[in-house]
Amino acid sequence: MERYSDEQLIIRFLKGDEESLEILIKRYLKPIYSFAFRFVGNSQEAEDITQEVFVKVWRNLKRFDQNKKFKTWIFAITKNACLDWRKKKRAIPFSELEHVDDGKSFIENIPDTHLLPNELLERIDVANFLNKALEKLSTKYRIVLLLRYNDHFTFREIAEVLGEPLNTIKSRHRRGIAVLRELLREK
Amino acid sequence: MRQDFEKLFSHLTPAEPPAGLFDRIILAIKREQELQQTKRLLFGFLFLLVASFIATPFSWTILINQIESSGISYFISTALSDFGVFIALWQDFSLAILESLPITGMIAFAICLGMSIFTLRLFLYRKRLLFGYLMQSFA
Repeated sequence: MERYSDEQLIIRFLKGDEESLEILIKRYLKPIYSFAFRFVGNSQEAEDITQEVFVKVWRNLKRFDQNKKFKTWIFAITKNACLDWRKKKRAIPFSELEHVDDGKSFIENIPDTHLLPNELLERIDVANFLNKALEKLSTKYRIVLLLRYNDHFTFREIAEVLGEPLNTIKSRHRRGIAVLRELLREK
Repeated sequence: MRQDFEKLFSHLTPAEPPAGLFDRIILAIKREQELQQTKRLLFGFLFLLVASFIATPFSWTILINQIESSGISYFISTALSDFGVFIALWQDFSLAILESLPITGMIAFAICLGMSIFTLRLFLYRKRLLFGYLMQSFA
């Protein structure tokens, strides 16, 4: 069951297999939560958005166009949920990964990935470094870069998620990379 | 270039969802499912309520008219006033009463009455849910 593709799971769910939906949720829980967390920078809000996204997915799964990719569809829903959240809240920074979360710093939140201490430190250093650089990027560039390099989307998929023309995404990516390079060089 | 940046971004540790989030999502979906069922039930209830409220007086009028025009009341009153004759000729009386029964009116009235009882039962069975949904909708 775990090896089924998203599309197969959706078909099974539409035929009445509730377990397929649970597998889909488990599969996308981490990427969706992570995306929402990067957007809102707060774990409680990210939890609420993630919950809302999956309820919306459940509600609209019957209407999902199976010629499209489920991954882009669910990320588009997440992006819209995040934008709705931002409209409600206003002026919330896109990413505050190093900000305090449940009383812990970003470094404390990093799970033990069985790396050697110096490798871990180096990793944390790079993460902090990159986070700071990403924070300085504007939201539209940051989203494109994160979807491209963190969530491994193609340009076409990013265009679908964000509902923008392909060329706009490509040019945002180019500019984003240029600005990020500049920021990393400054550091 | 893509690989370089992918390697760089791999240093960003993805935020881990809290342990209870999956269960919360499943619970929220179940709640939503229940809400949808309640909504369907409420609309069904309202439809039946309105339909039975409109149809019952009509079917009652039809039934009364048919009883009056069928002459069944004469057979019954004769049977009651002269019970000896009724007993002696019970087969003919029964046949005459059966023939003059206002079947259409009775069926229509029985259906409307059944619908009203079913609506009432539906309401009593899920009243807490329906009231809860209504309160939530108007709150």
